Amino acid sequence: MKVELQNLTKIFPSRNKKSGEEVIAVNDFTFTIPDGKLVGLLGPSGCGKSTTLYMISGLQQPSSGRIFFGDEDVTDLSPENRGIGLVFQNYALYPHMTVKQNILFPLQNLKGKDKMTKQEMLDRALEAAKLVQIDELMDRKPSELSGGQQQRVAIARALVKMPRVLLLDEPLSNLDARLRLQTREEIRRIQKETGITTVFVTHDQEEAMSISDMIVVMKLGVVQQVGKPQEIYDDPTNLFVAKFLGTPPINVFRGKVVMDMLYIGEDPVMKIKGVEDKDVYVAVRPEGFELNPKGKFVCELSNVEVMGRDVSVVSRHEASINPVIRSIINADSGVDATATNVKFSLKPHKVFLFDTETEERIPFEVK
Amino acid sequence: MNDNVNETITEETQATPETAATPETNQTQESVLIAGVMHEQDIQKVSAKQNVVKIISKVAVYAFLGFMALVVLFPFYWMLISSVKTLEEYNRQIPTLFPENIVWYNYVEAFKTANLGTLFGNTLYVGLVSTVLSLIITVLSAFAFARLEFKGRDALFGVLLATMMIPGELFTITNYQTVSIFGWLNTFTVLIVPFLVSVFYIYLLKQNFMQIPNELYLAAKIDGTTDIKYLWKVMIPLALPTIISITILKMMGAWNTYIWPRLVANDEAHRLITNGLRNAFTEASGDVNYPVQMAAVAIVSAPLFMVFLFLRKYIMKGVSRSGIKG
Amino acid sequence: MKEFLIKIKFDKWKGWLYLSPAIVLLLVFTGWPIVNTLRMAFLEDYSSLGELSGTVYSFGIGNFSKVLQYKKFLDTLTNTMLLCVLTVPLSTLLALVIAVCLNAIKPLQKFLQTIFFLPYVTNSIAIGMVFAAMFNIIGVHNAAGPETVGIINNILGLFGVEPINWINAGSDYWANIAVLVVYIVWDALPFKILILLGGLQSVNKQYYEAAKIDSTSKLRVFTRITVPLLSPMLAYVVITGFIGGFKEYSSIVGIFGEGMGPAGADGRLNTMVGFIYDALAEQHHGRASAAALILFGIIFIVTMINLYVSKKKTHY
Repeated sequence: MKVELQNLTKIFPSRNKKSGEEVIAVNDFTFTIPDGKLVGLLGPSGCGKSTTLYMISGLQQPSSGRIFFGDEDVTDLSPENRGIGLVFQNYALYPHMTVKQNILFPLQNLKGKDKMTKQEMLDRALEAAKLVQIDELMDRKPSELSGGQQQRVAIARALVKMPRVLLLDEPLSNLDARLRLQTREEIRRIQKETGITTVFVTHDQEEAMSISDMIVVMKLGVVQQVGKPQEIYDDPTNLFVAKFLGTPPINVFRGKVVMDMLYIGEDPVMKIKGVEDKDVYVAVRPEGFELNPKGKFVCELSNVEVMGRDVSVVSRHEASINPVIRSIINADSGVDATATNVKFSLKPHKVFLFDTETEERIPFEVK
Repeated sequence: MNDNVNETITEETQATPETAATPETNQTQESVLIAGVMHEQDIQKVSAKQNVVKIISKVAVYAFLGFMALVVLFPFYWMLISSVKTLEEYNRQIPTLFPENIVWYNYVEAFKTANLGTLFGNTLYVGLVSTVLSLIITVLSAFAFARLEFKGRDALFGVLLATMMIPGELFTITNYQTVSIFGWLNTFTVLIVPFLVSVFYIYLLKQNFMQIPNELYLAAKIDGTTDIKYLWKVMIPLALPTIISITILKMMGAWNTYIWPRLVANDEAHRLITNGLRNAFTEASGDVNYPVQMAAVAIVSAPLFMVFLFLRKYIMKGVSRSGIKG
Repeated sequence: MKEFLIKIKFDKWKGWLYLSPAIVLLLVFTGWPIVNTLRMAFLEDYSSLGELSGTVYSFGIGNFSKVLQYKKFLDTLTNTMLLCVLTVPLSTLLALVIAVCLNAIKPLQKFLQTIFFLPYVTNSIAIGMVFAAMFNIIGVHNAAGPETVGIINNILGLFGVEPINWINAGSDYWANIAVLVVYIVWDALPFKILILLGGLQSVNKQYYEAAKIDSTSKLRVFTRITVPLLSPMLAYVVITGFIGGFKEYSSIVGIFGEGMGPAGADGRLNTMVGFIYDALAEQHHGRASAAALILFGIIFIVTMINLYVSKKKTHY
């Protein structure tokens, strides 16, 4: 089932009646989620990603714009008539019901032609439980389960109605680091097995990158960029997106272009063409640095962190906007940790230029 | 849910004094503490002395509590033994602390004199009907205040809370006129309807409902659950301890209410138990048949004691949060 | 789309719909009485019977000034205040000591706690009758002298106390008050013990352990740690105690009957609430309303004073 959002806008009336300022939570969001894909809505808190999810679910009404499931306009449908499953951040399992009762609960509400017999319901519940591998725990209460198991129950409960769209609200944020890795693979597997169009919300870029077919990056209610994870990483449209994706984060410097030469601070680092002379932000991915004795980009070395296969070289430069520069270098390249300076050359495809005013991307070619 | 937390806290804190009271652990702890300052002989002396003090103070505490417990229990004891004495034995110059021969006919007499059968029936009827209706109103109101969003909700709730400050006597005067005009005097309606809404119970249940995460409500909405079904299947089961507390307090209220029934329904057919009891034995300070009167009091008190024995936890929990008698 | 609009409209009113039974009842039995009590209190010599038969009453504060000059009212005020002042400190102190003792023991704690709670689950009229039986002298009307002076006098006799006429005809006012104080304290203990013990058990044990390490004396621990940490609960039981005390009525009915006094001295022990009901029974609605407002005023002021003091004294 493809999900289409057309000019979706949500305006909240101001809490402070006197100032009368409205909060635009989501601004003119247009996007089509292809059938059977897993899409991550990514952004810092307050970017409107949860509001978008709640509008798709029907729990919140858009101020304007339409929502389509396939060709059906569902904008005015109430949540229960949309055929969706929603997994909440805190799972929202009914604490007084067993796992089985929790999973059965949505089925018991079906009316009319959808009404099922007891046996059908049990079969469906067991099927859903097996899918998320909790069929052994059917008679336990939520309080007797671990966080990861509760999460699975919540997913089973959302899936049992065979929804057209599955929505996940920060599904991993209540889990510890190890479980998070495990569960996100699990979610990916379940989504692939069922083929249900899935939208999930997260503020964790690593999480979004690792399991999404597509990512939507949002900021203050406005969509910044839509695309496959790798595309967005390799080709960010603006400084915000570049900074938001990637660990360690991208290194940003004050720089300039003078006569087809790109400078970071006063260091000439690369010959480029297609950019007129002006001040720019230069952003370099951590893996975009190469140790080079003849390199023109000279930084003051702070320390070297050994990470096994790679080393992380921490250094400083006066033009850097981040407090330190983090670069990831192959451990074999032999960094001299005792040296005072380190000289780099840059990999051109890991370097992005941004306008200092608009922070939009400035395309360039390497000469 | 909160109740569980409280319970575990109580149990933990109760466990601590026990460990502190066992002599072995105590000695070692204290020895460690003072070992640096004193010699070993001194330590033994001190700890022996401390043990004596400890034992004496324990004995004193138990003696005091035991004495107070006797004081508290004595009226009940006196009621029970008096109810099985003969009038002759009761009126003896030196009262006996235990009846010489136990007789039961006082109970039969009490039942007849005070017409207790009718009184029990009336009270039970009024108690049950008003509890059920009151619970429905309380649950609906608490749900509206806790979960539904509408204009003026918080202001309205504030006004309701403010009315809790006002003593009930202030309402009684007008309510008496109102029910007279309604033609409700000497009916069961007058005993039930005016007290169906308790702002305090609404408040209590609202607080309980608010502890239930809002996501449960949203999840239920997505599953197509109606508000009423959600209330019935999720909120009420989760708030059950509070609801039981309210039920018991409300029933106790019907059992103990005195002033209002005397005012508005003091006829034979609608009289409630407390009122009927006082009515049947009006001569309080004259020479009445006390064994019969005590038997009547025992019969009236028995149901409350039974309820208390079985539902002690809910009553004490409800009371500690309410601070109102019945 | 239309259906959707209807749904939105319904959602807006749903809250009010759920509240409607409560609101209707509250308007009739709480809202209107507040307005009407104010109205009646400020209409001279108001009686609703008179109003129904067409009498028009003029506005004024006569009800208040009459009530306040009325000896009967001043007596009930004295009785009420006296009972408050005597019973609240006594029951609070006793409850505090019992709660602290209960908190210090482990074996039998639950059992004793249950016993101390028992008076709560009783009917104050019914148990008042038991107290009356215990204090009663049987045969006072008998020319040959009493048959028994009652169990309490007998027990006191063991300590060499002469029999006292507690509640019978010709008894002393202060003897009556003493009986009432004993009964009211007995009746008030369970609630106060429950609250205070709950407070004690929620106090973090680390404070006591810290005090132990500093070898603080038991008395000092009590006055410097226990009482301050317990001050919110103490304030609570004192305030509710005063509110209950000012509304005292049924315990007196329990012991003395509706005469509100020993035989031959009817009404001697009447309280403010009793006064209000008497005025109501006599169809003096204006006077009853004025008295109810005065009662409300007193309760309000006492509560405010208590809150003010406890705010100054409450340590957190």
